[in-house]
Amino acid sequence: MKDDKFDIMLAEMIGRKDGMTVPDGYFSEFAARMDSMLPDDRVTEKQPAVRTRWQMVRPYAYLAAMFAGIWCMLQMFHLMGVGSQGIVSPDTNPVLAEAISDDTFMDDYYCMDVDELDFMDDLYASGLDITNL
Amino acid sequence: MEQLTRRLQDPATSRMAFNEVIRLYTEPLYWQIRRMVQNHDDANDLLQNVFMKAWTNIESFRGDAKLTTWLYKIAINESLTFLEKERKRLGVSMDEEASMLANTIEADEWIDGDDLRKELRKVIAALPEKQRLVFNMKYFDDMKYESISEILGTSVGALKASYHHAVNKIVKYFSEKS
Repeated sequence: MKDDKFDIMLAEMIGRKDGMTVPDGYFSEFAARMDSMLPDDRVTEKQPAVRTRWQMVRPYAYLAAMFAGIWCMLQMFHLMGVGSQGIVSPDTNPVLAEAISDDTFMDDYYCMDVDELDFMDDLYASGLDITNL
Repeated sequence: MEQLTRRLQDPATSRMAFNEVIRLYTEPLYWQIRRMVQNHDDANDLLQNVFMKAWTNIESFRGDAKLTTWLYKIAINESLTFLEKERKRLGVSMDEEASMLANTIEADEWIDGDDLRKELRKVIAALPEKQRLVFNMKYFDDMKYESISEILGTSVGALKASYHHAVNKIVKYFSEKS
């Protein structure tokens, strides 16, 4: 096999020793030292984790805060929707509805038909100079 | 070995059984660690950590895996974690690990051999981590691919490829040199 060939070739070239050594009697001393280092009571009863009241309710508090946030967001979107409709729609805006029903208001402020040429005449009459535009 | 595993799992006999484990595995685990970290003192500290971890986690050893596999896994994890910490401490990248280890080899007091042995260690240290592990286990410890596969969690085919690459690189290096 190819691997074996190279393996043998390498073993012939450099051998199977890497030249590393240890102090005399190291392994037997290590075993004795390790024996004395090991704690006798490896079986330690696992203490039940003490949880504070806050730690117990924290997940529920976070959940409640999340729902409250979503509710607030929905409320905000709703108000924004109602607000924009209220400005333009007399159906939902009582101030606008009352103004529309007032004839004086309509006569003074509401122009039923604005002619563009009349508007331009008014502008020229009030001193508009198109060369200065 | 099965009997030893059973004694390890029994709290009444586990301590005595573990002493036996220490006596049986000190040497092979030491050499495995030493060949990775290159320094005797570091290997000694790491070996202590390995047995300490094994002892404190002996309950998690169910006996499904072989005791040897379990201990080798702890030893390799300890070695790789140590090397990673050393790289961070010295601010060297993974690519520069070879030169970091070469310095360690140069400074190693516990050697018995000529410059060729030292050179061999440096060439092995320059191999990628996985190839180094496979090479050490196969070439020096003559472990079976199946056992290495269990320890490293890699397929036998991939291990053979890694070993082949590692041996090729080392043969090429020494062929070019001579």
